[in-house]
Amino acid sequence: MSAVGIDPRVTGAQRYSIDAERPGMLHAAFVRSPHPHARVLSVDASAVGSGCVVLTPDDVADTHPYGCQVHDERVLSDVARHAGDIVAAVAAPTPAAAREAARRIEAAYEELPAVFDPVAAVAPGAPLLHAEGARSAGEAVSIGVRPLPATNVCHRFRLVHGDVAAGFAQADVVVQQAFRTPSAAHAPMEPHAAIAEWEDGRLTIWTGTQTPFNLRADLAAAFAISEDRIRVISEIMGGSFGAKTFVRQEAVLAALARKARAPVKAVLDRTEEFVTLNRHPSVIRVRVGARRDGTLVAKELDCWVDTGAYADCGPGVATKLGYAGVGPYRIPHVRVDALAIYTNLPPNGAYRGYGAMQSVWASERTMDVLADRLDMSPLELRRRNLLRDGDVFATGEVMHDVQFERCLQAAADAVDYERDPRGKGLCVLLKGMQTPSRAAISVERRGVGYAIRTAACEMGQGVHRSLRLMGAQMLGCEPGQIEVEQPDTDTSPYDTRTTSSRTTHMMGRALEAAVRDLRAGDGERGYGEIHDEGGLDPDTGQGVASTHWHQGAAAAQVSVDEETGQLTIEHLHGVAYAGRVVNPEGAALQNEGSLLMGLGTALFEAIDFAEGQVTNANLSDYNLPAMGDLPGRFTHEIIEREGAEVHGLGETVLPPVPAAIGNALYSLGLDVPELPLSAERVLAAVDARNASGAAGDAARDAEAETAS
Amino acid sequence: MRVAVQLNGTAVELECAPDEMLVDVLRRQGLSSVRQTCGIGVCGACTVLVDGEPVSGCLTLAPLAEGRELTTAEGLPGSDPVARAFVEAHAYQCGWCTPGFVLTAKALLAENPDPDEAEIREAFGGNLCRCGSYVKIIDAVRRAAAELAEPR
Repeated sequence: MSAVGIDPRVTGAQRYSIDAERPGMLHAAFVRSPHPHARVLSVDASAVGSGCVVLTPDDVADTHPYGCQVHDERVLSDVARHAGDIVAAVAAPTPAAAREAARRIEAAYEELPAVFDPVAAVAPGAPLLHAEGARSAGEAVSIGVRPLPATNVCHRFRLVHGDVAAGFAQADVVVQQAFRTPSAAHAPMEPHAAIAEWEDGRLTIWTGTQTPFNLRADLAAAFAISEDRIRVISEIMGGSFGAKTFVRQEAVLAALARKARAPVKAVLDRTEEFVTLNRHPSVIRVRVGARRDGTLVAKELDCWVDTGAYADCGPGVATKLGYAGVGPYRIPHVRVDALAIYTNLPPNGAYRGYGAMQSVWASERTMDVLADRLDMSPLELRRRNLLRDGDVFATGEVMHDVQFERCLQAAADAVDYERDPRGKGLCVLLKGMQTPSRAAISVERRGVGYAIRTAACEMGQGVHRSLRLMGAQMLGCEPGQIEVEQPDTDTSPYDTRTTSSRTTHMMGRALEAAVRDLRAGDGERGYGEIHDEGGLDPDTGQGVASTHWHQGAAAAQVSVDEETGQLTIEHLHGVAYAGRVVNPEGAALQNEGSLLMGLGTALFEAIDFAEGQVTNANLSDYNLPAMGDLPGRFTHEIIEREGAEVHGLGETVLPPVPAAIGNALYSLGLDVPELPLSAERVLAAVDARNASGAAGDAARDAEAETAS
Repeated sequence: MRVAVQLNGTAVELECAPDEMLVDVLRRQGLSSVRQTCGIGVCGACTVLVDGEPVSGCLTLAPLAEGRELTTAEGLPGSDPVARAFVEAHAYQCGWCTPGFVLTAKALLAENPDPDEAEIREAFGGNLCRCGSYVKIIDAVRRAAAELAEPR
């Protein structure tokens, strides 16, 4: 076998966004605020040597606020809202010269009061991050943004279904629990990397991005130019997981390139990655009521979702987090109140699972507490209430192609739950896809085979392979005879974005339409476009949350060293419903990857902050799951159904993992309300259980004494 | 300064500064499979075989390579059984970390032709895959071991 034909990812020949180059390009470095909240008084670049181009706030006075859902970001901040916020930038002939120049730039600050906790940030008197208030990004946003004026709330999502007070009045048992989740790093192996170049008033960006069209819209807003004067080319990414979405360093890079009159490249270092985009920390309070027989009658969720210094897609995350927390259950009376809240932490955004992990952790942990109070099996409690085909979800949607029970049962069976549930935990997940959604694709005949033009971005999830496999089947050729062209806003048909496990589902259908069009026409070219309508009313949570459902479950079997709090995962099993699998190897890899990322979230991943400063901004202090962290048994399955449509599965088994492990601990009497499940927290739960056990024994003894 | 090495089978002199790290010098040679990632020797994406031993290019001063034999993924032939096993096992997603895993696997199998799972886990303690492809990577190492054990 020759080198030809070997996958370039194995030979090392694969090029990523970091490998992009332009003739005559300069390199960027950024000056970042050391303070979590401070007004920039001055930027002194007099010590910077010649040959460098410095960008200060004066240079971007003509630019406008931008943001994918709320226009609250500036190209350069005159107020730094988190430690690491960019306040100036410099371009130099080499990366080392740029870093040295950035060190020589002196910024003077007036420190402002800061807030680092979402609950504290909505208390009266909390420092306000965006005094001017949130302004909706309008057309670019797929949800109506509901800011609360003169507060740090940039969006409030409410869902009202039935009459929750009346529901609780019917309950025999009510439990209320509160949970926390920390921030986490996406930590793609490849950092953010981009090049910006202006030519004749037209901007071209080469960048690792999942969202080329959204990026183009945001940059058009920032520079007040029409979208057709911006071209975004999405380079292949060395991982993303949500990190490379919307505008990251591209806006300031474009302004720097404009001033330098040269292409400028930026590659973030590992420390900068930790202040660029992270996962939303959350505080979630769940109250749920049931009849004695286990029938759920009412549920309330109050969610404080920390979106950090800028909204980014926090309103969307709060929305999805809000309705995913209802869970895949028939509950006649539901109230959800989810706030996306500004704090002086780095911005938080899309992260594999998009808010579902946070609320599912809280909600599914509460189900086991309820089961305990009802003296009922957690599996039986869930089975009794699971949504089935034709049931109405809390959003008012009639459910279709419902497989929650199959997923849950498969998870339970994998750990032999019904024989002995001790040390075992389950979790079942409902998650939606970005709705409304649009996808378009074109197919063109080539000398040999076909070329596909699509804005579907490749970050390791294997979407281009999936498109080749689907295309080959539809067109009657070999997958190798289909070329998938690089996403380019100048030549690729419009696509909402490559997020929310939507691409195989949406693009697959668009491709079917394109092939039909090709067949109906001259056989040379075809075009297909799919629109999924929908969306939720932000004030009532009613509407269409998702045109297809991501359905999954997880099961965990654990053991605990009660002397040290050391938690060992004996077996972790993940189940995803796929409808129909088009890329079996890719589906298995995505499922295993999600499961492992869920394990990291459950056991050890957390960004630590001290007064807004990240204290573990490296891959030694911030641990990623390594091969040695694989549980003794690490298994998964993908459920299909004859005749079903293709369902997304790129994220499905991540969100249920922490709750499955948390519930396994709970089965041992260990109640840990906060992630990650560190040895310290497990040990505290052991102590709490032993103390309450002792107290309970004492109370029973006292009672027995009184009785005798 | 100039550092004389055997690079992927060819004698070359690497031009570098005394305090430069091997990863930067090799990338300048166009060997982009060697990838600066964590910068502190934790992730293994900048793995280079130095006289057959996997080392982190981000922690190795380039002048220390003087007189050594350096191998990067670009230096493996297309027929390399370990690289081929990774392809057959679908043992990667984004592929960023893959060259480092392949080189570490080569070093492991050179030393231990039939590693068990515990030995494989131990050998890859210095390689991270954020896509989480470890199950398939273990499968790839087993396939490569079996392939190498076959009498030719």
